[in-house]
Amino acid sequence: MTKYAFLSAMMFLVVIFLQVVCNRICLFNIAVPFVFIYFILRLPLSLSVNWVMTLSFLIGLVVDIFSNTYGMYAMSSTIIGGLRKPIFTLFYPREDEMSIPIPSISTLGVSTYLKYMFTLVLIFCVVIYVIQLFTFYNFSLTLMRIIGSSLLTAVILFGFDSIVTTKS
Amino acid sequence: MRNLIDFFVRNSAWFVFIFYMILSSILLFNNNPYQHSVYLTSANIVVSSIYDKINSVTSYFYLRDINEDLQKRNAALELEVLALREIVKDYKAQSMDSIQSPQSQYDYILSRVISNSISLQHNYITINKGTEDGVVSEMGVVDQNGVVGIVNVMGKKSSRVISLLNPNLRLSCKVKGSDYFGSLVWDGKSPNYAILEEMPRHVEFEKGDTIVTSGYSAVFPEGLNVGVIENQLTSGGDNFYSLRVRLLSDFSHLSTVRLIKNNMKEEYDALKNMDFENRKEGKK
Repeated sequence: MTKYAFLSAMMFLVVIFLQVVCNRICLFNIAVPFVFIYFILRLPLSLSVNWVMTLSFLIGLVVDIFSNTYGMYAMSSTIIGGLRKPIFTLFYPREDEMSIPIPSISTLGVSTYLKYMFTLVLIFCVVIYVIQLFTFYNFSLTLMRIIGSSLLTAVILFGFDSIVTTKS
Repeated sequence: MRNLIDFFVRNSAWFVFIFYMILSSILLFNNNPYQHSVYLTSANIVVSSIYDKINSVTSYFYLRDINEDLQKRNAALELEVLALREIVKDYKAQSMDSIQSPQSQYDYILSRVISNSISLQHNYITINKGTEDGVVSEMGVVDQNGVVGIVNVMGKKSSRVISLLNPNLRLSCKVKGSDYFGSLVWDGKSPNYAILEEMPRHVEFEKGDTIVTSGYSAVFPEGLNVGVIENQLTSGGDNFYSLRVRLLSDFSHLSTVRLIKNNMKEEYDALKNMDFENRKEGKK
């Protein structure tokens, strides 16, 4: 258990650092990578929902402070923190889910993991851009940004997961 | 009682969820950027020192472009100095009075941009000068090409600047050479363009005319470059029209900026307050 806690703490710092660097990226003025949600995707499944949401809120808040967005990331990452478990069971409706400690390509297989990851990334991007819609209404641009950002994020996270293999 | 506790324990996830939602909504809808606390912005010590470290590496990336801009600006200023020197010579020849240079109204503080965003709806810039270096609220920020933003939250060694790419910032601007002014605001679409609103219908302009600051506030002096007119936006039958303005500053490559310190600002504010008090007295 301490091993997971230590790994998670390391992951927290690394992911925030990457997000701070990635904040400068904005491809074609539509696609922004949100790499820090990788931390939320990879929290152990045995962790209770309350803890998942608390950690999601915290990492969202830290990224908020770095990018001056004031509550936007905190809200969206809490939402996907809460939706993580239901979406996981949606794509992996088997009883033996406890045998899988951490969702990743090596434990779930490529297609299940892709579905799980892409759904959460899409929800995250929709929430982020709907929040921004309150201050600025431009439907087509928002739609383009949702699609662009979620594709870019998904590709990066997939590459990420191929590098960070879980050997447990 | 037991049932009640049971109920709370069973549905604890919902309560935790609602608690965090309310917390983030409070942050999110606390809209006025001037009320943000230093600790929750990039002007706080930890965040700004991390950005400073990252920036000390990445600041080398765009040096070529920036150097080119500076050379151009330098050439323009040199020409201006030559022209002014001619004029001063004429004046000196006319009268024996030496032209006294009054104490300059504006001073500059040089600073480095350590973090910057262009992809959000409300963009902010972080710079590495704070209250210890004499930064105060509402200082104007310019780079070598034009206006960049206005300081709004200060830490000890760093401050946060509202970027021109933020709908909360409205900048009073005019077409160079005329006295009619409108207000420039970002429409959230492209980091290269902003909209100049409320221009009276009878103002004459051409595509490519320069837009400069109007100097009607104590923040920016008159005549700083802001952008170039791109085209006119169609509007309804009102007496004003809007212009699409291509911004001169390249917000994706900001590096060194100058903060404008207005030595007369206290006097301006005192005058404004006096006016305000007088009006109050008059009402009584």
